Amino acid sequence: MQQFADYLLDEGLLAGMPKSLGYVLVVAFFAFVLLNFIMLVAGVTSWLERRVWARIQSRIGPNRVGPQGAIQWLADGIKNIMKEDIVPTAADAPLFKLAPYLAMIGFFGAWACVPFGDGLIVADLNVGVLYITAVTGLVVVGILMAGWASNNKWALLGGIRSAAQIVSYEIPAAIAVNTVILLTGTLSMQGIIRAQGWAPWNWFLFDNPFTFVAFFLFFVALLAEGNRTPFDLPEAESELVAGAFTEYSGLRSLLFFLVEWGNLYIVGALCTSLFLGGWQVPAFTDNGFLLGLAQFVVFFAKSYFLVFVAMWIRATLPRVRVDQLMSVCWKYLVPISFVNLLGAMLWVVAFPNGWLPMRLGMFLFGVMTTLYFLMRVAFHLRRARPLMTWNPIA
Amino acid sequence: MGLGTYVRNIRETLGTIFEGMAITASHFVRKPFTIQYPDRTEIRVQDSLPFRYRGLLDVDLEICTGCLACERACPIDCIVIDAEKDKQTKEMILKRFDIDLAKCMYCGLCSEPCPTGSIHHTPEFEGADYSLESLVRRYVKAPVVAYKPPKGPENDADVGPILARGLRYLDEFASPGDPKARE
Amino acid sequence: MSTNAIDLDIVREHPQGLETEEMTLNMGPQHPSTHGVLRFVVKADGEVMRRAIPDIGYLHRSIEKIAEKVGYHGFMPYTDRVDYVSAMQCNQGWAMACEALAGITVPRRGEYCRVIACEFGRIASHLLSVGATGMDIGAVTPFTHAIREREYINDILEELCGARLTFNFMRIGGCAWDLPPGFTRRAIAFLDRFEPLIDEFNELISFNKIYVERLADVAVIPAEMAIAYNLVGPNLRGSGVRYDVRKDAPYSVYPEFEFDVPVGTGERGTVGDSYDRYMVRMREMKESCKILRQALAGVPEGPVVAKVPRTFRPPAGEAYVRVEASRGDMGWFVVSDGSAFPYRVHIRTGSFAAMAVIEEISRGLMIADLVAVIATLDIVAPEVDR
Repeated sequence: MQQFADYLLDEGLLAGMPKSLGYVLVVAFFAFVLLNFIMLVAGVTSWLERRVWARIQSRIGPNRVGPQGAIQWLADGIKNIMKEDIVPTAADAPLFKLAPYLAMIGFFGAWACVPFGDGLIVADLNVGVLYITAVTGLVVVGILMAGWASNNKWALLGGIRSAAQIVSYEIPAAIAVNTVILLTGTLSMQGIIRAQGWAPWNWFLFDNPFTFVAFFLFFVALLAEGNRTPFDLPEAESELVAGAFTEYSGLRSLLFFLVEWGNLYIVGALCTSLFLGGWQVPAFTDNGFLLGLAQFVVFFAKSYFLVFVAMWIRATLPRVRVDQLMSVCWKYLVPISFVNLLGAMLWVVAFPNGWLPMRLGMFLFGVMTTLYFLMRVAFHLRRARPLMTWNPIA
Repeated sequence: MGLGTYVRNIRETLGTIFEGMAITASHFVRKPFTIQYPDRTEIRVQDSLPFRYRGLLDVDLEICTGCLACERACPIDCIVIDAEKDKQTKEMILKRFDIDLAKCMYCGLCSEPCPTGSIHHTPEFEGADYSLESLVRRYVKAPVVAYKPPKGPENDADVGPILARGLRYLDEFASPGDPKARE
Repeated sequence: MSTNAIDLDIVREHPQGLETEEMTLNMGPQHPSTHGVLRFVVKADGEVMRRAIPDIGYLHRSIEKIAEKVGYHGFMPYTDRVDYVSAMQCNQGWAMACEALAGITVPRRGEYCRVIACEFGRIASHLLSVGATGMDIGAVTPFTHAIREREYINDILEELCGARLTFNFMRIGGCAWDLPPGFTRRAIAFLDRFEPLIDEFNELISFNKIYVERLADVAVIPAEMAIAYNLVGPNLRGSGVRYDVRKDAPYSVYPEFEFDVPVGTGERGTVGDSYDRYMVRMREMKESCKILRQALAGVPEGPVVAKVPRTFRPPAGEAYVRVEASRGDMGWFVVSDGSAFPYRVHIRTGSFAAMAVIEEISRGLMIADLVAVIATLDIVAPEVDR
């Protein structure tokens, strides 16, 4: 974006404007576009989550508002905005009102480094991954503030659980990232993606067994950071109503939920950039615009597939208790991620440029696992065949 | 925790999560079971309910004998009937037959003792309304003479089908000493 | 029950001079997971509970007093509401109590219809229980699958008696309706469809490691404590005590059927933990399917109801009968003074005792476990308060 801003100021529409003002305008414009995009993605994610959940639960999700219910999220958003703005009397009003915005800032700031395509990134910082990890930590402050300022013991419990959870799971996430950084030598998001190729066996996921394990560690740790099941204790509906967000209504609660769904997309985007090859597509055309579009679509598809997997996991698994959550992090994820890092270090020393047979072997292993999975799905379908032919109102 | 338990825990977790996700994945390709009532069903839901369905009550005043058996049987006193024997004509006159559907608990105890099946449950269940008064169904608009079942078959063409339906409803109830098996 | 009688927050002195207090939380009558309107006052030290004091009475409807007004026949629909999740067994309990008072024998076909209805009700109730347990632990999918199957059972019972929840199917002396044509065929089709589903349900949630970790070794109720606290039904059997009213004090035609009584064996933890109680319910569904198949295959001919006068006036006396309801041994006590209205009716339910044991076993558990404990003890508020 820096080059784009410079181009505009030197030769384009904003020629002649003082640099600082020009930069501010360009940044504001991109922030506006990005904010709208994020809200759209978060909203559509909420609708898609309900449809995916519903199909898993043998029912139909929202399908009345708009074609197949596609603008249900808009109706829900408008409804939330029109609700009464309740601030509990005994709550700490300034903190109560500030909390959602802190969470939003923390979440929104991470989007500055999300690479949508080659050159389609707001700020290609050379510490991109570190920046994202750091900025998303601000969400914790927001949640904790929400829990405390609500003056509600259940909300406080939820906020504290959430803070403990997010802080603990930063560690396996960061170490898993390190495992990938060993291969690239750079923290820049674009740099990491450029170090991979478009073919699956050139992705870091299949590079060596250690990055394979690191992918799952990273995904699980990011799920925990986003307060998603199986780690959604802070929002455990059946215990704490809505955890830290119990007392929020209307626009403020909408912001928290948008942060949660948008965070899913950040999870997908991070995992895609680090492990699944990002926006890499084979160079099938010379047209820069078409290539950029293809890269955008590929990146979006890959991240959204991971978002879909996160929704699917949420519908399937129960939630872990808070002490089990801590024990999973500290007793399982952290030691495994350290051992993994050690193994990856040894691998990089042994094969500085990777080893193609291992990549192909890991890719084959991934394909076999997927095939085995599909076999199990077919088995369950076969066993449930009598269930599928009932029509209650003939 | 020994190494064996540690590894077993990891293996069991991954294995059971894998199976669970396979099951939920198989649900993606199954037909959902939602009946999209009320506008996207193939037939009206009320028409698909069994004959014994205990929906809203209805009274066929043409065949009501004024015996007050339903009023006595109702445990919640939601039926109020005013019936008195006319001194001259020796006929039962029904002045009032009110059922308070807001109180009714759809137990069916009133329709069992009715001799003609006049008070019966219908498959209708959509009774929601805006005022509580509208839920009090008043079946007698003007005082009518109660029905007297004839000794032989009912010959009146208007009353005949109603009586047949009422008796068919009563037939569903089991009666003691009825050895007829139904399979 | 007033909570003023409970001791105030305990303030503890630490060696460094810090003071800590216990937190008093109110898991109030309106809560997404307390299985009806139950209230718990939880005194917690952070996440760990010190005491969980139950507060009942939010669903008290004076059903036992109403019996004295509506008479014997009129009380039958009220018995549905004593435990509306499994209403058939409550109908049977009341009918049996009145028949014991007056010495009425139910015809054999009537007994078979009763058993079929009760076992369907048992499966439906257990489905709701295991689904709700899953949902309280966090897995939302098994709940909808369980409710989907329960809807099938509701459809079958709807064509049997006309209602889906408050059946009012039985009368004193037998059943109100006979089996409709085609019922056996449809019921067996349901059973054929349902039994593979129990396996699928188990693989989805019961054997899931996260689920097992949430329930195993949580709230262990040893057999002696279970008997001392008067637990019954799957709660008692989950603690290893093989006691089932259908086998040990048989009634109706249960002696003619072959079925097992599943007992908790501590398969994933200790005997008597929450997982055992949960698995006992899953296995009981399979046993109920067995009973149903035998009953549907062998329904005898004949009437379903005995001759009972319209105004039922039993001789003066009292009767106490026990039925194996879904939540355990349900006792029906009726005292008659010779008139058309009972003098006193009392219903002894399994959930009432289970509420009492929660205070004992919840010491040292986490708040998240309290929800699991309530769910696996299968407490429904209407049974507790009546």
